[in-house]
Amino acid sequence: MNKKDYYENEYMPKMHRYGKIIGVLGVLAAFIPCIVLAVVFGAVPEWGKLPAAFLTGAATFGFLWFMEPIGYFNVLGPVGTYMAFLSGNISNMRVPCASMAQVSVDAEPGSEEGSLIATIGMAISVLINVSVLTVGVILGSVILSKLPPSVTGALGFLLPALFGALLMQFGLKDVKFALGMLAYCIILYILIYIGAFSWVPPQFSLSNWLPIISAVFLGIAFKLLTNKDVGKEDAAKE
Amino acid sequence: MGSEIYKTTKTNYVIGERERGTIMDAMQIANSIPMWIACAIPVGLIIFQAILFLNKSRQACADIGYPDEKVKQAMKSAAITSIGPSLVILSGMLSLLITVGGPVGWMRLSLIGSVMFESLAAGMGTQQVGVTLGTDPMTPTALAMAVWTMVLCSIGWVIFATFSASRMEKVQHKITGGNTKRMALISGAALIGCFASFVASHLVKFNKEVGSFYFAKSAVAAILGALIMFIMMKVSAKNKKLAEWNLFIAMVGAMILTAILPIGQ
Repeated sequence: MNKKDYYENEYMPKMHRYGKIIGVLGVLAAFIPCIVLAVVFGAVPEWGKLPAAFLTGAATFGFLWFMEPIGYFNVLGPVGTYMAFLSGNISNMRVPCASMAQVSVDAEPGSEEGSLIATIGMAISVLINVSVLTVGVILGSVILSKLPPSVTGALGFLLPALFGALLMQFGLKDVKFALGMLAYCIILYILIYIGAFSWVPPQFSLSNWLPIISAVFLGIAFKLLTNKDVGKEDAAKE
Repeated sequence: MGSEIYKTTKTNYVIGERERGTIMDAMQIANSIPMWIACAIPVGLIIFQAILFLNKSRQACADIGYPDEKVKQAMKSAAITSIGPSLVILSGMLSLLITVGGPVGWMRLSLIGSVMFESLAAGMGTQQVGVTLGTDPMTPTALAMAVWTMVLCSIGWVIFATFSASRMEKVQHKITGGNTKRMALISGAALIGCFASFVASHLVKFNKEVGSFYFAKSAVAAILGALIMFIMMKVSAKNKKLAEWNLFIAMVGAMILTAILPIGQ
């Protein structure tokens, strides 16, 4: 069996099955603390008020439930999507770790090897994330709260620094395209902030998803249209 | 005003009586052994998934003849990249430890978590029963409201992602015709689009109260991160061992410089 056959007919079907089963189990497991609160401690929500709380949350985040999986799919791939959305912390951990794992071995994103390496990188990031949190929670607030404010304040600059570095890492291979995408996103954010989209109801929280999802799909469309000769000619159109 | 009466009546909750007459308050419940066990199950599932996916993917690499040294190299690189962001998440857990207790904070940031979402959702839940998160003392009812709201509002992501993954794969397959080169084109473009939007979100900061844009510290950090990364990529061009640490050095270096330099707000 060749590489592509093995990947598509052996590996992927298995991963889809595991991904779906664990996804469902994850949703059910998330309720265990709720059940323990009720059964062991008799602490239950005020049922009449829970729908209002849920609807406030759904109005704020509901759009992201759909927009984020669609927006990140082309970066994460199917297997990564299963893992990333169950473990969370996607932009700040899963995507950087998956892409840096690929960079370290020159694996092409989107190829079979690239997808496998991305999944491996993401799995490692989950294990480290959970380990650090576990150690942190055991040491507890005692030690964490003794950190001087200058340290916790500085940690707030780590993610913007990480994203700047990552854009340099990947953008340097395709400078014009990267600068174009960056300019597009900056203009879009400025337009959002000066109220060019004020006709959109605020609960759609545009700034949370519109720049990323539109940048991803515009980028893809641009690359496909300007590289029609890459791969099969007849597949050039969307 | 109504909420204050509420608090005093609700803190003397009946549950405490089971514990040989002692009153157990909401934070004791939140940090109790049963809650640790309840939260360890979902965290265990996440670990199980990560190990399963790791093993299956390593196996697949072996089966298609991909060298194991490269797999190990990729694992190492992912581990180095993980350290910084893990610490950021950890520092975010601090606020959750105080508001909803250790076990729930630990679980929520391991499962479908992000610090901003969790605190917001928890607050939305407690607000409904008149408890402002971080200001008013937690009551058992408010704790239950917080945990239920966090869980109910987060499963939307998992449900949609889990059941749309194969469908989105089919759409992608149609666009690329299953051609690897076109797949690479799509993934590469998506990755740059993704990072460009992350960076732009930190470059463009707007002060709603004053109604004007400002040059933020986070913008300084993003620019410095990019600059240090550029230097590191040039310096380490011929040194693979050093190249592994490029991102870490850029990330931490830019963070420290941003904190020290008197630029940005």
